[in-house]
Amino acid sequence: MSEYSDFSDRISRKVFLRRAAVSGSVLTVPGLLAACGGSSPSAGGTTEAHTLAKTLHFSNWTLYIDKKGNQHPSLNQFQQKYGVHVDYTEDINDNASFFSKIEPDLARGQSTGRDLIVMTDNSRYPSLLVNKGWVEKLDKSAIPNIKNLIPQQRHPNWDPNRDYSLPWQSGFTGIGWNTKLTEPVTSMGELLGSKKLRGKVGLLTEFSDTLALVMAYNGDDPSHITDKTFNKAIAVIQRAVHAGQIRQFYGNDYASALANGDLTATMAWSGDIVQLQADNSHLHWQMPDTGGDIWTDNMLIPKGGNVYTASVYMNWVYTPRIAAEIEDYVNYVCPVLGAKEVLVKKDPAIANNVLIFPTKQMLDNAHTIDPTALNNEKYQTTWQNLISA
Amino acid sequence: MSLAFVRRHVLTVWSLFFFGYLLLPIAVVAAFSFNQPRGRFNFTWEGFTWSNWTHWNAIPGIQSAVELSLEIALIASILATGLGTLMALALVRYGFRGRATTNFIVFLPLSTPEIVLGASLLTLFLNFSTPLGFWTILIAHVMFCVSFAVVTVKARLVGFDRHLEEAAMDLGANEWTTFRKVTLPLIAPAILAALLLCFAISVDDFVVTYFVAGPRVTFPIFVWGAARVATPPQINVIGIGFFVIAVTAMLANVVLQNRRAQRA
Amino acid sequence: MGFLHQRRGLAPYLLLAPGMLWLAAFFLVPLGFLVYQSLQSGNIDFGYAFTWAWGNYWSAIKGYRGEFERSFEYAGLATVIALVVSYPVAYWIAFRGGRWKNLLLLFIVAPFFVTYLIRTLAWETILSDHGFVVRLLTDIHLVSPGGRVLATGTAVVAGITYNFLPFMALPLYVSLEQIDQSLVEAAGDLYASKWIAFLRVTFPLSLPGVVAGTLLTFIPAAGDFINAQLLGSPTSHMIGNVINSKFNELIDYPAAAAMSFILMAIILGMVLLYARAVGTEKLTG
Repeated sequence: MSEYSDFSDRISRKVFLRRAAVSGSVLTVPGLLAACGGSSPSAGGTTEAHTLAKTLHFSNWTLYIDKKGNQHPSLNQFQQKYGVHVDYTEDINDNASFFSKIEPDLARGQSTGRDLIVMTDNSRYPSLLVNKGWVEKLDKSAIPNIKNLIPQQRHPNWDPNRDYSLPWQSGFTGIGWNTKLTEPVTSMGELLGSKKLRGKVGLLTEFSDTLALVMAYNGDDPSHITDKTFNKAIAVIQRAVHAGQIRQFYGNDYASALANGDLTATMAWSGDIVQLQADNSHLHWQMPDTGGDIWTDNMLIPKGGNVYTASVYMNWVYTPRIAAEIEDYVNYVCPVLGAKEVLVKKDPAIANNVLIFPTKQMLDNAHTIDPTALNNEKYQTTWQNLISA
Repeated sequence: MSLAFVRRHVLTVWSLFFFGYLLLPIAVVAAFSFNQPRGRFNFTWEGFTWSNWTHWNAIPGIQSAVELSLEIALIASILATGLGTLMALALVRYGFRGRATTNFIVFLPLSTPEIVLGASLLTLFLNFSTPLGFWTILIAHVMFCVSFAVVTVKARLVGFDRHLEEAAMDLGANEWTTFRKVTLPLIAPAILAALLLCFAISVDDFVVTYFVAGPRVTFPIFVWGAARVATPPQINVIGIGFFVIAVTAMLANVVLQNRRAQRA
Repeated sequence: MGFLHQRRGLAPYLLLAPGMLWLAAFFLVPLGFLVYQSLQSGNIDFGYAFTWAWGNYWSAIKGYRGEFERSFEYAGLATVIALVVSYPVAYWIAFRGGRWKNLLLLFIVAPFFVTYLIRTLAWETILSDHGFVVRLLTDIHLVSPGGRVLATGTAVVAGITYNFLPFMALPLYVSLEQIDQSLVEAAGDLYASKWIAFLRVTFPLSLPGVVAGTLLTFIPAAGDFINAQLLGSPTSHMIGNVINSKFNELIDYPAAAAMSFILMAIILGMVLLYARAVGTEKLTG
């Protein structure tokens, strides 16, 4: 769980991809070549070798790994065991701007200087990276621990066999509220309509989060979006906005507004709440009665990264003991089987926290967004107009 | 009680409120730079600490953002002031064809909202597939600083006594020496003012930079990113740091001027 | 400077050339590209092509008239408030500042060395629903119980006013400071009331400052989106928010470019009308 930028800053994550599409990859010749599947020479060079590199360059979100003082114990142990130094950089604040950082190199077929990155699957980027051939295939022979991946995560539609990616953490989208200011808010109906909450309600700027919850509330299926169900959801949100129910559409910044009482109830990401409670013990989080939304941050090896070393690292992370160590600090949803059992002894409060090791009922109640809708221009425009105008 | 008496006091009270209003947010920012937040948010007072100041760069990325901002501001202000001073000399000293047009073109960027400046530069860079980064930021900053520099230097040149230059020439100095020994020292305060103004504008710019920065992160862009999650107290530290440095420099200047005035 | 006098014809152009080239390349040419972009059509998957798509302008006006109007309304309000708030202060410093003048000016400028975004974020804290300002305003019945300031148009206007205040106060001060004291005194002798003396003499003499201040406040205010983003709500967004979102989130360059151009044209039109009313030289110097 990151302190300053847990998950994507969900405000503008489509942008750089689109910018890349319009300017970089379409309008320029090298871009065209890359876009048409021209082979891009990988500058990393050691993609085939089964020898470990001296250094693993790992870009991750802020405060998204175990930490003790200035040290990351799990990384230190990795270095002790394999002799690989991990150059760990917390330079991902949101999917879009991070993508914009690496896109120029990838489009020109150059190494990004990174071996491992983490991006969120309810943005366009992971599937885009796979489709453009901008990520390396995992060396699964080096990842026997892939067997510890929880079954629900084994076949995402954008990478059906997990050839390119492994989950780092997942999280839910649901409703957070301040128990000091309101009775529990457990339905989207209350959130969008209750007069008591008027002007004190936040929604998320992220298309997939808000749409998924509202569609589920409408009784429609967020994983198969049609024009009709989309328009219905938009109309419901628009009505709430015009009635003055919605204070603002938020990215990560909903958290501070919720903690200081400006928001009474808001759509919120599960893992934030544990951290938020340090500031305000009156905060509570639940999936709405009609269901929430689940998303996953994925480890990916950008083109030119050292596949073998990165794969060995992934294998390391999928060791239950190590996963438990990371989870004990990070507090989002853990994708590694066996980590819970380790934590039951070490830190039972974390092990029994359903936000970290969710119940089956929660997982069943969590929707995923229709991936085609993420790329639908018309939907995106309608959505942006709704939240920015 | 005379009207003047009332007016004087109304004005004074009004002005005191005004300064309170101006400084209130600064006081808030300053106070919270010493806060020791329990969780990730820095808006409820939890306890006093110096550690945000001693560890001002403890947030990953903050130091490089500050460095980039200062670097850009330094180069941009020097370039813009140089270009602007030359233009101001031309505009004040010469009557020439196209003077009115030039004045208008200098004025135009000042009357264009930042978002339009940023947007149009971005379209330019996109159309030429210019990689966004340090150079595009620098180009943009020089562009929007130039007009400010021209205006500042021009104001000083207009009230300039040409006789001093003529006297120097009469005494046998050539043009270059005259410019160096007479003109430059006389307009130096204006050049310095232009430099400082450009530096301040550049260091503070968010909107234009946001459009043309690409992957680079200046301090304002860092703040924008952090604000979307939770602003760490270190951001307040740097904000107040800039403030303290600027105020100290200006105070020194005020004291110096007062001394000079007393001596004179 | 003799050599310049001798080559009078060329000298000014040589002095101007570097700066003008910069402005031409990075201000005028980009504006051209903005227009070019605004007349394109297409979509991001296949790119945009130039098609004289004047419809972009039409749909920008039709679709976002509310945001345009709100931008000018908020900017206008903020400008008027800033003028009313800072005129007395500029007057006070200019005529009563004495040896403290420079110090007082310093206090006007100093807050603006704290980054724009940090200042605006500070207002977000100050105006929050459970903060002391809202409590105070509730106590004196300016805000209804349970009401709010943050996330309203009022907060946006307040934020804009604050953020552009020195752009108003400094030009006002400069023009007031230049007024010859003896003129004011003579006016005091001439007219019965000091108010009339002020209205007949001092205020007209300070008009250049008023003009410069209002322009320097209004122009950036009309294009601002930071205040609306941080202090507003979905119903108080300005055209800047839409342009920003179209450019940086939707990558709808043609629509964004059209809106930017319309914004610029309206502002320029207003400035030129204003300039005609007060005299161009005062504006462009």
